[in-house]
Amino acid sequence: MRVTREVVVTAAPTALWALLWDVPRMVACVPGCTEAREVEAQRRYAARMRQKVGPIALSVPLEVDILEAEPPRRIALRARGRDPVIGAEISMRVTLVCEPRDGGTALSIDADGQVLGKLGGLGHGVIQRKAEEAVDEFAARIASAASG
Amino acid sequence: MSGLRPFALHRPDTLDEAIDLLEQHGDEAMIYAGGTELLILLKAGLVRPRRLVDVKRLPRLREVAEAGDDLVIGATVAHRDVERSAAVRRRCPLVAEVARHVANVRVRNVGTVGGNLAFADPHSDLATLFLIFDATVELRGRSGARALALGDFIQGPYETARADGQILTAVRLHAWPAGTAGAYVKYGVYERPTLGVAAALFPAASGRPAELRLAAGCIGPRPQRLGRTEAAARGLDPRTIGERADELAALAAVEVDPMSDLHGSAEYKREMTRVFVRRALAVAAGRAQGAEAHARYAHTVVV
Amino acid sequence: MPDTHTPSSSRIACTVNGGPVALDVAPHALLLDVLRDRLDLKGAKRSCDLQVCGACTVLVDGAPVSACTYLAVEADGRDVLTVEGLGVPGALHPLQAAFVEHGALQCGFCTAGMLLTAKALLDEEPDPTPEQVAHFLRGSLCRCTGYKKIVEAILSCATTPSGAPR
Repeated sequence: MRVTREVVVTAAPTALWALLWDVPRMVACVPGCTEAREVEAQRRYAARMRQKVGPIALSVPLEVDILEAEPPRRIALRARGRDPVIGAEISMRVTLVCEPRDGGTALSIDADGQVLGKLGGLGHGVIQRKAEEAVDEFAARIASAASG
Repeated sequence: MSGLRPFALHRPDTLDEAIDLLEQHGDEAMIYAGGTELLILLKAGLVRPRRLVDVKRLPRLREVAEAGDDLVIGATVAHRDVERSAAVRRRCPLVAEVARHVANVRVRNVGTVGGNLAFADPHSDLATLFLIFDATVELRGRSGARALALGDFIQGPYETARADGQILTAVRLHAWPAGTAGAYVKYGVYERPTLGVAAALFPAASGRPAELRLAAGCIGPRPQRLGRTEAAARGLDPRTIGERADELAALAAVEVDPMSDLHGSAEYKREMTRVFVRRALAVAAGRAQGAEAHARYAHTVVV
Repeated sequence: MPDTHTPSSSRIACTVNGGPVALDVAPHALLLDVLRDRLDLKGAKRSCDLQVCGACTVLVDGAPVSACTYLAVEADGRDVLTVEGLGVPGALHPLQAAFVEHGALQCGFCTAGMLLTAKALLDEEPDPTPEQVAHFLRGSLCRCTGYKKIVEAILSCATTPSGAPR
């Protein structure tokens, strides 16, 4: 699935970047993501993502790798993991870009990935909608955390 | 895939017992009625309840009752029993007819109305049809009973407003006034329908103009009443509404919120909405004139 | 605290093909597995395992169900009919004879399910129209015959209200 969003926050680009580059804190803004921690500074992080689709509960140990970083404006990362209980595999590439805008910062989010395994059989439409909800919530939390 | 992971099966005799079991066991327990959806999820390993709470012994859930202008269908009534119920045929005959076409005969013998609504698979004939009967669902939990409009109950694919510890016990339909002409048209080649359109033309009565009720389902995350299209049709004579069918169908196609999946792209479903709303209106308008439509369309069931 | 509703297995008592059967089954046992593995009734087949193909069809109290998606405990107190109970070589059920005569089977994998579904139809509607046959058979899939001969075989077993063959 692919989701792109742009949100404008009142915080300055440097403040927003500080939040994004604090990867455990940034990952914690993803709905359902907890236990975010650093494995190798600025290279690798880990988290656990829990989501529900109807009666189906997903719990994925995520490995987050920083692919590219251009401080203070752009970060590209890959998040991967597998829920062994239901056999679902998630793989996402996420690019975050900060640009000054109207005295604040425009954050653009590009999330591109797939869900494999039986959960993927629920249908692209359901997965896409879940992903869109998650990105919208993430954008809202980032905006709030950066301004607060 | 064969074989299920073990679970304990609870078979309470009263609603209070059933609710207590759900409260006590929380995430470990799932409600079981016909099992036509649940057992598939269990086989796929997508859910792993340690306990099933069988609600088929709860007496009120097995009943179909008439209450004033309403028809109340208990949650564990099987589709086949809806089809054959004298009360359903009296109050909401289209519902009995549509129940005859749900899934296949084996699923109809075992699957229940409550299970269908509570599972909230987007491809549901009954969920779509019930929207034009002003359906409400009854939920019961430890804090008592509450009723919720079906459109509010179904929140998304496989997601409803039913909280843990609550049981969907019945769905209540509001019977149509005499002289209403209805139709349900469903289209698809797969086990589950690709598109379902439910239409009803209410005749004008004292103090109330003629009215269209229209719902489209199976194409999006949840079934939808098409309020804007209905508004455009308000007051139109059911016998001549066919003259405006193209225009109303075009409005419906804009109003729906389709979702791409293996049944087709969102654009395809939007176009099929336009085609099938037009056909459903034609059938209903014909019935309003006392004429039965005989047109046949590929891969389509006209009810 | 003992939980009287949740034994790890329960005793079911039912009739299968007219004869009494009493068995201890686990709650999670599927009827198809009990029929095939414990009662040696191999007629019902596991095919799609999703209740969409009909190859596992058996009749429970005269009604077709997908045995692959039906808990064995639900058969308690009920009559189960499998294809083995329909007829035997030398004493075929009229539907079985008709299927043979009309060439309504090739590999035979769907046949048990088709026969039982057809029996349930004729028990309910002894003189069905072709549309009624097609409606009842919806969800019973055949990869070999193209369905035409199956429908013809079933229609050949229709009887008029007086009970005479149509």
